[in-house]
Amino acid sequence: MDDIRAKFQAVLRDVFDDDTLVVHDSTTAAEVEGWDSLMHINLIIAIEKRFGVKFATAEISRLKEPGQNIGTFLRLLISKLPRTA
Amino acid sequence: MNPKVDLVEGLERFLSAKNGQGPERFGLFVELLKQASEQGCQEDVRSVLRSAIVPTLDYTSLRGLYRLKRHLSPMVGVSQPMLRLAVLGGFTTDQLTQLIDLFLFGLGICVEIYEAEYGVFRQEIIDQRSDLYQFRPHLVYIATTWRDLAHYPGPRASAAQVADAVTQEVAEWRNLWNTAHERAGCQIVMDNVAPPPWRVFANQEAAHPASLGRYVTEVNRGLAGESQRYVSMHDVDSLSAEIGRWTWHDERLYHHAKLPCAPEILVQYAHSVAALVGAMRGAAKKCLVLDLDNTIWGGVIGDDGLAGIAIGQGDPESEAFLAFQRYLKGLRDRGVILATCSKNDERNAREPFEKHAEMVLRLDDISCFVANWNDKATNLRVIAQELNIGLSSLVFVDDSPAERALVRRFVPDVAVPEMPEDPAEYIWAIARHRYFEMAEIATEDFQRTEYYKANAERKRAESATMDIDAYLRSLEMWARIDVVRSETLDRTVQLINKSNQFNLTTRRYSVAQVMGMVQDSRWVTRTVCLADRFGDSGLISVLLARVEEQSLEINTWLMSCRVLKRGVEAFLLNQLCALARSRGLRTLSGEYIPTPKNELVRDHYASLGFRGRGVHPDGRTEWYLDLDSWTPLPHFIKESPVDG
Repeated sequence: MDDIRAKFQAVLRDVFDDDTLVVHDSTTAAEVEGWDSLMHINLIIAIEKRFGVKFATAEISRLKEPGQNIGTFLRLLISKLPRTA
Repeated sequence: MNPKVDLVEGLERFLSAKNGQGPERFGLFVELLKQASEQGCQEDVRSVLRSAIVPTLDYTSLRGLYRLKRHLSPMVGVSQPMLRLAVLGGFTTDQLTQLIDLFLFGLGICVEIYEAEYGVFRQEIIDQRSDLYQFRPHLVYIATTWRDLAHYPGPRASAAQVADAVTQEVAEWRNLWNTAHERAGCQIVMDNVAPPPWRVFANQEAAHPASLGRYVTEVNRGLAGESQRYVSMHDVDSLSAEIGRWTWHDERLYHHAKLPCAPEILVQYAHSVAALVGAMRGAAKKCLVLDLDNTIWGGVIGDDGLAGIAIGQGDPESEAFLAFQRYLKGLRDRGVILATCSKNDERNAREPFEKHAEMVLRLDDISCFVANWNDKATNLRVIAQELNIGLSSLVFVDDSPAERALVRRFVPDVAVPEMPEDPAEYIWAIARHRYFEMAEIATEDFQRTEYYKANAERKRAESATMDIDAYLRSLEMWARIDVVRSETLDRTVQLINKSNQFNLTTRRYSVAQVMGMVQDSRWVTRTVCLADRFGDSGLISVLLARVEEQSLEINTWLMSCRVLKRGVEAFLLNQLCALARSRGLRTLSGEYIPTPKNELVRDHYASLGFRGRGVHPDGRTEWYLDLDSWTPLPHFIKESPVDG
């Protein structure tokens, strides 16, 4: 889990071009500077590529919806990853 | 520690990465770029970054490079002409445009970009007061998908209804082009239509007149046929077919963000657009320089002998080399110059071209044949010089990673594609770089290789004679000087946008702008065609000047480098002075605007007897010639009468 979180944060730093960006489970999209709808798509593209997963059309919207945050998104991501024994 | 050396080394390690080493080496390379950037080595970073922008990178890596590029400070010293590019999209163009920007940067073209909101391209063009016209674009790129088709009559329409709809569809686009062009005087690049991957009529899609697939085909044919001189179609239809239409589309991202295709595909898409725009700006490559052993045939001619090399029918690998030669021959027939650069005894190297029955390429096809034991970096410089083209117009193809690395390091202006080990993949390895893009089809393209060959023969004549005057006289040159006419307009504009070396001001003009000058009595337009006993060089020089009070001001003076040192400048100047005098003018004035490529003509005006009038801080120099005291310059060119 921590490993995934670290990779996830690295993707965020890369996409938002900010080497000091730190996010927590409670962080929402609105709190990250520059996270508009265009950057959102760039982020989805980067995460899909980094983790080898694919989000459904409705799931792509979810991260920006009210009540959603980095924590809920990470759980969605993890549910898509192959389970390690 | 020398950051430049580290950078070049890092670039080479990354470009030559094999079997999954790519991402790691790319990461290291980016780190080096960041470090060098922090140390203030902006210009090194810029030049190395340029070489790193290749279409074989993935979307995420290119976005990383785009961010690095964005952080670069503006270039100092050289005044680079900016291309004002307006992007009008039927879809979200942000990501596509950034990659186009990046690839153009890789080609050495700086752009200023205006992007309209998606889906409003019609309004932007029709509304005279739109931001598009405020921006005053040189080039408008209209990016569309099949969803922007406005008149598809549905699958039950009659053949006649479909035909009407196609006509209307095409006419609407033509009107939009004309409107944008008339108002902004811009060139236009437009996507044709890529159909969706699904085909409701399955195998009958092409046969049924009212199927969407058939409709798209007809519209594309109509658009290609209707293209005006100032419109270049970008063939998204074939691009998406090349990639595979299901692979091309990512419907999720269209529904979400109106992205036209899957993100990875944006790389090919942007690269293809940039290559076309680059060709319009003179950045397309001109010459393919080929290694011989294991590049155009299998084996080593010096060791294996004529019977031992692999080329021809009957053996799979020999057939692969044969197919590669056919591809090269196709390029050559279309105007790409071929040269060789091989470590070999010249006699050995020539033998297959002369004697091997199954070789497709013959000595005739090679405009500059170099085979010796010198290092290849030196040879490439010689080739560029002999052909009178810039190093950045060369593509070097060699199966040896060591030779490729050497050339990349010592002549970084030459494009060097990574070559796969299997010759069956050679065509793809070159084609994917889109080096030889064409903005339009000019008949001169088909003759160009002939010019260069005749040039090589002239050079031989040159070396046989010691006295340059006697040589020039022996060429029996004659020239035709004329205003720009409709028959010569295409070639004139092509030269204006392509000439880099013998070009005093490097001002680029579109067809529309040149047409405007021809109609304006204050402008003097002149073109020169040159022929000699070796052949016809065609239209090789353009001069545009404008009358300002007592003076004729030379705005543009350029010439094809294949007729350097033949006295064309003197011939043209004499004509111009005579004209200016007949109009009662007192002086001729001109300027030289330095670019990275036109050092050649720095002393052009001085050598023609002009006097300096001033040097600007950016290196620009101004010159004038007093017509009262002027006497004609000597040359050996006869004037031939203008036809008709």
